[in-house]
Amino acid sequence: MMHTIRVLSKDSIFETSPKITTAKVYRVEGISGKQSKVLAKKLFCEKINQEYTLDKPIIRKASAVIEISYKPGVMNPEVASIIKSANDLNIYPTAADSSYEYGFYGKITKDKAYEIIKALGLFNKTVEYIVEIPPKTLLIKGALGKTTIVPIRKMGDEGLLSLSKDKLFLNLPEMKIIQKYFIKIKRDPKDIELETIAQTWSEHCAHKTFKAKLIVDGQYKKPLIERIKKEALKHKKNILSAFVDNSGVMNFYDKMAICGKVETHNSPSAIEPYGGAATGSGGVFRDILGTGRGAKTIASTDIFCFAKPDMNLSKLPVGCLPPKYLLKRVVDGVRDYGNRMGIPTNNGSVHFHDDFRAKPTIIVGAYGITPVKNSQKGEAKKGDIVVAIGGKTGRDGIHGATFSSAEMTDRTINVNSQAVQIGNAIEEKRMSDALIEASGENIIRAIQDCGAGGFSSAIGEMGEATGVSIALEKAPLKYQGLSPWEIWISESQERMVVAVSKENLSKFIEVCKKYNTETTVLGYFDASKKLKVYFKKQLICNLDMKFLHHGLPQRIMIARKSNKKKEISSKKLYSPKSKKEWIEIVKKVLSHENICSKEPIVRLYDHSVQGTNALQPFNGEKLDGPNDAVILRPILDKPYGMVISHGLNPILNRIDPYWGSIWAGAEAISNYVAVGGDYKNACLINNYIWPFPDEESLWSLDKSVDAVVNLMKVLKIPVISGKDSLSSTYKGKDGTVIKIPPVLCMSIFGKIKDVGKTCSADFKKSNSILILVGKMDYGNLGGSIYYDTQNIVGDNVPKINLKILPKTLRAIQNGIRRQKILSTHDVSEGGLITAIFEMCVGGNMGADIDIGKIKNTKDDYILFNETAGCFIVEVKNEDIAENLFKNIPYVILGTTQKGNSLYVRNKNRILFSVQVEELKKVWQEPMGKIFN
Amino acid sequence: MILKPKVLVLKTDGTNCDEETAFAFNLAGGDVKIAHVNDLRNKKDSLRNYQILAIPGGFSYGDDVVSGKILAIELTSFFSEELRKFIERKDTLIIGICNGFQVLVRTGLLPFRNLGKMDATLTNNDSGHFECRWINLRIEKNSNCAFLKNLEGNFVSYQVAHGEGKFFADKENIRKIEKENLVTFRYVDQNGKPTQKYPENPNGAINAIAGICDPTGRILGLMPHPERFVRVEQHPNWRRPDAKKPQGLPIFQNMINYINKLK
Repeated sequence: MMHTIRVLSKDSIFETSPKITTAKVYRVEGISGKQSKVLAKKLFCEKINQEYTLDKPIIRKASAVIEISYKPGVMNPEVASIIKSANDLNIYPTAADSSYEYGFYGKITKDKAYEIIKALGLFNKTVEYIVEIPPKTLLIKGALGKTTIVPIRKMGDEGLLSLSKDKLFLNLPEMKIIQKYFIKIKRDPKDIELETIAQTWSEHCAHKTFKAKLIVDGQYKKPLIERIKKEALKHKKNILSAFVDNSGVMNFYDKMAICGKVETHNSPSAIEPYGGAATGSGGVFRDILGTGRGAKTIASTDIFCFAKPDMNLSKLPVGCLPPKYLLKRVVDGVRDYGNRMGIPTNNGSVHFHDDFRAKPTIIVGAYGITPVKNSQKGEAKKGDIVVAIGGKTGRDGIHGATFSSAEMTDRTINVNSQAVQIGNAIEEKRMSDALIEASGENIIRAIQDCGAGGFSSAIGEMGEATGVSIALEKAPLKYQGLSPWEIWISESQERMVVAVSKENLSKFIEVCKKYNTETTVLGYFDASKKLKVYFKKQLICNLDMKFLHHGLPQRIMIARKSNKKKEISSKKLYSPKSKKEWIEIVKKVLSHENICSKEPIVRLYDHSVQGTNALQPFNGEKLDGPNDAVILRPILDKPYGMVISHGLNPILNRIDPYWGSIWAGAEAISNYVAVGGDYKNACLINNYIWPFPDEESLWSLDKSVDAVVNLMKVLKIPVISGKDSLSSTYKGKDGTVIKIPPVLCMSIFGKIKDVGKTCSADFKKSNSILILVGKMDYGNLGGSIYYDTQNIVGDNVPKINLKILPKTLRAIQNGIRRQKILSTHDVSEGGLITAIFEMCVGGNMGADIDIGKIKNTKDDYILFNETAGCFIVEVKNEDIAENLFKNIPYVILGTTQKGNSLYVRNKNRILFSVQVEELKKVWQEPMGKIFN
Repeated sequence: MILKPKVLVLKTDGTNCDEETAFAFNLAGGDVKIAHVNDLRNKKDSLRNYQILAIPGGFSYGDDVVSGKILAIELTSFFSEELRKFIERKDTLIIGICNGFQVLVRTGLLPFRNLGKMDATLTNNDSGHFECRWINLRIEKNSNCAFLKNLEGNFVSYQVAHGEGKFFADKENIRKIEKENLVTFRYVDQNGKPTQKYPENPNGAINAIAGICDPTGRILGLMPHPERFVRVEQHPNWRRPDAKKPQGLPIFQNMINYINKLK
């Protein structure tokens, strides 16, 4: 029997117009009426501020009531807790669910109510539905799907292509290689075998573009990945593991290692931003957990690109979600997953440009720590056991899978076969706790995350050297009705695969049990060099590991510079003439979406959990001045620091892929050095989020890789991890094509011996000397925020002087280590004036700036130019400035001032003076409006 | 050699401030163990072995239904007797921080030691969202708390990081809580006055209540995180000229001292 308990909180009325009230609905199946009353009283309702009803409505006198629930088959993370707690109360339901009801007061129709629900972002039809008729049962039934044989040997080209289309996503030469293989072994493949090959050979898993031989403007060039690796491995003093594991690992102190991984989750986030962003975080946390023989995740970063929140919605392509909704829900997703996992999210950025309207860029990074002895990728040995751990397997993330009508019940008809997942952070947290303990006990031989391709890719990869034999029917399922191939490639979240020796198996299972994490023995590694999958003793997959992992031929791809003339706007730059105009334009820059304070977002993330934070994202007198990077103290009783930062600029990348990419790298390193990071002891992570690699986009990607390789050469530090996602092209049904701006996101992490010798960006004292350090490229403002405020793009991006950059970085590092630098902030988007303003905010003081010493350029160029690799520095006096910076370009700009005024002059000519508070107001407003 | 007081940091699925809480007790001189609630259920460990029970922050069981509820039900279903014995001993203290406070309130241990009966609640922040920020608190004078005496009247800065921290009870119980001096911490404004203003009062708690104790003063619960300020550089402004000493550490030191003095 199913019972419905509705709970209403006394303060649940929103004073909106119309008034809305909200109630929680719990459905529990397989219990008596009496038991439902016990659950209502003890579990669901707290009478201090709530009331409940049993099996009847609770929202009364409303003119419309709408219930919104997760679709059947979409995992509701709350259900497991409800059942656990019921069991603790000695009640044993067969199923449970929870949902929300919204009641509308006043004169309002149901249709209007529905519109309001949608406008408030309370309903996402991808994963939720409006409950018109309450479900009779919550149990999802279905018969076991079949395994079918695909007669590939007889197929012609057309047959192969239609088999590939919408399902395998391979091209004709690749399909022919598969055909040839099965002709050779004299049989036709089963569906699961084709799916396995397609997963392993997919762009996502095989990185075919990055591994391809290139012909760039008619010249042969080595594959992108080869060029990156070759240069990286020249700088390996700190590298423990690069390009071979789920994250890049570098040496730390005291026999410990630190690691980093950055991932994208763009497509899922575009459809269901909350679940997409949350599972993006979940996936990258598992990458850390799956590094070596289990690393602990200690930090998370989040970097997003959206269209501007106030973009005119008529510009939104068909099927795309509004940018403001995306922004809010992505932030919610990152917040809920990271906070629940207890991983501090303490470095990130948000970038806005309307060309992201077709697809946002959602980048999530994770960083970890592990003993050096566990830092190398583990290898399964013959006889080791394959253990699946964590969540159950469902139909999540399988495309094109449908229930056949014969197997449907009244319930299954609603099951969304392409369910985007919500993610269950607690499932991952307990799995993580269990794995960290098991790793500490040294009972993990090898470990792999079930990400793209699910069991297929995790087990296929772990068994590559030995061979593996799997009994797939053992995999625990969320509900019945999956075909074997679906179980095999399902991308259900919060699952990993561990190789454990026979001797350690019972100990491993015991550790997992303590943390309420489910383990299942799926099979064992053998010496067959084959991937063998059985389902109820029937062999349904039998592939040679060699063919699977090395059968895919290298592609040859052509890259060519576009000969289309770039549209250069004829719009002329207007330079401010009066004090009033100056203040107006400074305000425009500071309130620009890319520049404005992101504090309201940061406050939603727990940035200090684990107690390791030694430089908070915001600090200063009023705790509202931003910093450039995060510093952690990952071992609580040691002074060692880990510094993490990043840089990117999609618009510069689009204008000039080479110099735009140099800028991204220089920005990342400047942020890193500005807080006291030692760049010589750092590693880089490069992420390319690029449009589909047609000739033109591949050309720009090639240039970007050239830039990254050159940066490694100049700075003598390696890239040790990275990822490409080459699908930033939107193709509408009406033929519109939108190329999303290409993004190179450069992340950097590294070590310092003493967190005590680091620096924050807030001005510390009045009457200190302010200096601009580094070589600015004043004339080039293409892609700058200043230009953008006048709707100009420009083609002249700032070029960073790569000879001077390392010297500048060393001087800043040195000054911080010797504690001669009181505060510093790098020059970035918004230019020099933005950096000084932000330092004023942190210090709660003013400044007096004279730009008269900077020659041969214009006032507005000086204040708004965005050359990365340059710094604003606060020191006690001019002697210290001379001592620290005598070998590099520097200019004394002025002094910090007590009070709240920012004066800017060119010798005797005052450009403007303004209250910092007045600027702060416009700087804080844009995100405040959205998030508070 | 004096034996260090034994501290149990209790964790379960979703607990995530266990290590820093253990670190704080370690710094303060405790002999600390982090144990999973399953270890207690399986009798591998017991409250009998400890003088201090700490329930740390996090999202126990995802804070499903409401924050701390599922763990509170687990504790009252399986450990009523053990908990009763523990609090009846004179040499024991309990602290619940953030999610731990939510659990203590939902077990009924706070405010009135009514195990199994809720007399107050911690509910959704008035702002409607999770908030992570440093706030100012006043440690109340003459509170009943057995281990805050030397700190009374002090102003401290701790971080809050929660979405369900609004302390709430009916009028009669609030009156009783105030009358019996159970309020230990209040959110204050720049002038040190208790405030209802956001964000100084980050959740809209009644009477700006951030932490309370039970009538014996040996059980303390608070929403802010003292364990996140046990070293100077955990504070955002430790590089500024007026850097503060770690203001969270004395809480843990006082708890350890309290036990040591009983010996």
